[in-house]
Amino acid sequence: MPVDTKRLRGPEESQSPWLFVEQEQQSPPDEREDGRRKGQVDVRPIFARCGLVSQAKGSAYIESGKTKVICSVYGPRETERKDETDMKFGRLVCTFRFAPFSCAKRCGWIQSTQEKDLSMALLGSLHPGLCLHRYPRSQIDVSVLVLENDGSALAHAVTCASLALADAGIEMYDLVLGCSLRQEGSDYLLDPTFAEETQEPATESTENRGGMMVALLPSLNQVSGLLCSGDLEQQPLVEAVAACIEGCQRIYSVAQRCLLTAVKKKNPPPDG
Amino acid sequence: MLRRPQRASKLHQRVMNTNSLTQAPWHQTTVEPLEYHRKFLKENCRPDGRELGEFRTTTLNIGSITTADGSALVKLGNTTIICGIKGELAAPPADAPDKGYIVPNVDLPPLCSSRFRPGPPGEQAQAASQFIADVIENSEMLQREDLCIEKGKLSWVLYCDIICLDYDGNILDACIIALLASMKNVQLPEVHVNEQTGLAEVNMKKKRHLNIVKHPVAASFAVFDNSILIVDPTSDEENLSTGFITVVIDEEEKLCTVHKPGGTPLSNEKLQDCINRAITRNKEVCKLLNKVMKSMKAK
Amino acid sequence: MTMTSLQETDVLSSVQPITVHVITIGRLASEACAVNMSPWKVCVPGERLCSTEVCKAGSGTYIRHSFIFASLAGYVVKKNEGEELPVISVARETEAQLLPDVNAIVTCKVTSINSRFAKVHILYVGSTPLKNKFRGTIRKEDVRATEKDKVEIYKCFRPGDIVLAKVISLGDVQSNYLLTTAENELGVVVAHSEAGVQMVPISWCEMQCPRTHAKEFRKVARVQPEYLMP
Repeated sequence: MPVDTKRLRGPEESQSPWLFVEQEQQSPPDEREDGRRKGQVDVRPIFARCGLVSQAKGSAYIESGKTKVICSVYGPRETERKDETDMKFGRLVCTFRFAPFSCAKRCGWIQSTQEKDLSMALLGSLHPGLCLHRYPRSQIDVSVLVLENDGSALAHAVTCASLALADAGIEMYDLVLGCSLRQEGSDYLLDPTFAEETQEPATESTENRGGMMVALLPSLNQVSGLLCSGDLEQQPLVEAVAACIEGCQRIYSVAQRCLLTAVKKKNPPPDG
Repeated sequence: MLRRPQRASKLHQRVMNTNSLTQAPWHQTTVEPLEYHRKFLKENCRPDGRELGEFRTTTLNIGSITTADGSALVKLGNTTIICGIKGELAAPPADAPDKGYIVPNVDLPPLCSSRFRPGPPGEQAQAASQFIADVIENSEMLQREDLCIEKGKLSWVLYCDIICLDYDGNILDACIIALLASMKNVQLPEVHVNEQTGLAEVNMKKKRHLNIVKHPVAASFAVFDNSILIVDPTSDEENLSTGFITVVIDEEEKLCTVHKPGGTPLSNEKLQDCINRAITRNKEVCKLLNKVMKSMKAK
Repeated sequence: MTMTSLQETDVLSSVQPITVHVITIGRLASEACAVNMSPWKVCVPGERLCSTEVCKAGSGTYIRHSFIFASLAGYVVKKNEGEELPVISVARETEAQLLPDVNAIVTCKVTSINSRFAKVHILYVGSTPLKNKFRGTIRKEDVRATEKDKVEIYKCFRPGDIVLAKVISLGDVQSNYLLTTAENELGVVVAHSEAGVQMVPISWCEMQCPRTHAKEFRKVARVQPEYLMP
């Protein structure tokens, strides 16, 4: 880890107290903790709000269970680096960050490789949904900050970012919604919490264990991003994608309502 | 400088009408911002309707981040700051084996305003971090000895991470309030060092609050045109001001820190005015904090 | 979680009841009108509005598979234009997406000058302000229409001047927007003298400071009523 000379530093090494707690060996429960069902399309209730950050062009905040994500959008503005200016299309720049206090184990301040990877995934999922040909020579900056990570952070970040882009008035082909899933053996857990994402498996076998995130354009019914990790066979994989797509469609009505409220609040209806 | 809202709003209306600024206020703020502000200051009020000595509405929300040991969200008008404190275990410093660490860090991400670029913290963030570290030390709000678990072997490290979500001026005040509120909210588990193995044993079920002895509160002022002092500047007012001063007072009306990074020189009387205003501000904020803590306990 | 406000915003207790009454009546009147007209429909990006046989696509929409979809979150506005098909567009009151386009009149502020060109920040496109500054360049040969080679930038613009200009080109990857002031109505509108006072234009090439009565050279815009700023 490079030494961070620009921040106040504490001790050289420090450990989280959780390392020293006696871990009780728990087998993964049959029922999900918050009462949702395994193998069913059950997403956590979502609270979404647009237009919170007064300085940004557009912003959105999503709370789903305990996961809290905030996103703000700036642009279209002049590209920072001249040699990356594209005369025909606008540029989209995405930054994904975890706040240091957002995970059970404290993350450092410097952007880790995982965050860079998630930023690229976010960029790839949002890019097909935007009409960038309408913004030549410009750059649109999307910054996502996860305030508390209780699972499916990237999926909610995708939804939050597209709400913020719509709030900023950037032309889009469609909203982009994200949903993630965790496959355990023969069951899948939709919209997993952090504990479910990281839990130890019940059996020794590694078959059909993995995670997936799908980013969907709901009214055009096109998938713009698919991230899969782990070891999945063909049939469960196809079912998992279908389950994620249905999860996204469930979120669509909430996202729509949030945007409509934001539009009515921000802009009065035009005159005749 | 007590708040008189009705007078401010009537004056504000008059200034807006006489200068026909309502027709194109945006143009005035980009092309001739100084003149725009001067017109209001002549009538002893400001473009957003406040008096010169009036703070923006302060909202406080404690304990919303469950992964952090203590957290607080403060909104001062539009300026939004979130502070999360995480406690970790480490060996105490070699030069002070009976003390723990408190590590504050302020981050101004590109999320909060278009003036900040992604990358390492800029000057403003570093200066703010150092200011907070100074306030913690000078005010002695928390004894570092309390953080020691076993002398020479194990102590707590409190990482206080302060992130700005919306930058509209006066972040120092908001950071101090957020830090104070989240410190009061922190609950650390009990830790013993096992004699035989030398490892720590943590009992997550027993948690206790920190012992906060002093409650420092900051009040920031901006100097306009070398003579007029305004309290709680917004980001536009900060850009046009000629000097800044921040005064930190604790609840016993004792001065903890005065931060004046260059700028216009101030006379004794003006400084005394600032200190008096900071004393009233401390009382207001402590009252708010107590109200919030009481309602948390009631749950 | 608890939220507590420190200062409750005071309701203006001195509001005259008559004024309030008048406002209510006005609102009722417009609501009565609204009842007769169709209520405003709000849409989100990706919502299918109608088919291309019924309407033409306006701003804020796109066409796909012979259907018109919305590309912005806003109000759906249908305008009838005579015999042709009505134009359907999505309106957001905040202008916003306006980028400087070729032949647009822009208001800019001069940031630096040298002997060959003046660099500016574009602040307004037409009458809509831009939230982010874009950079532009006014070359020496684009300042005036006549005697282009005898132009001295120092005698036409100074840093801090507010200038009305027209976009001639979007430039290329390396350069900024290219602007011109080679018309009578384009040029400097607001300038400050060396004493710091706003100057008064006397002719197309000179401005005078009201305090020191010193004359300074600028390429002055012929003032049109709609572009005059208070």
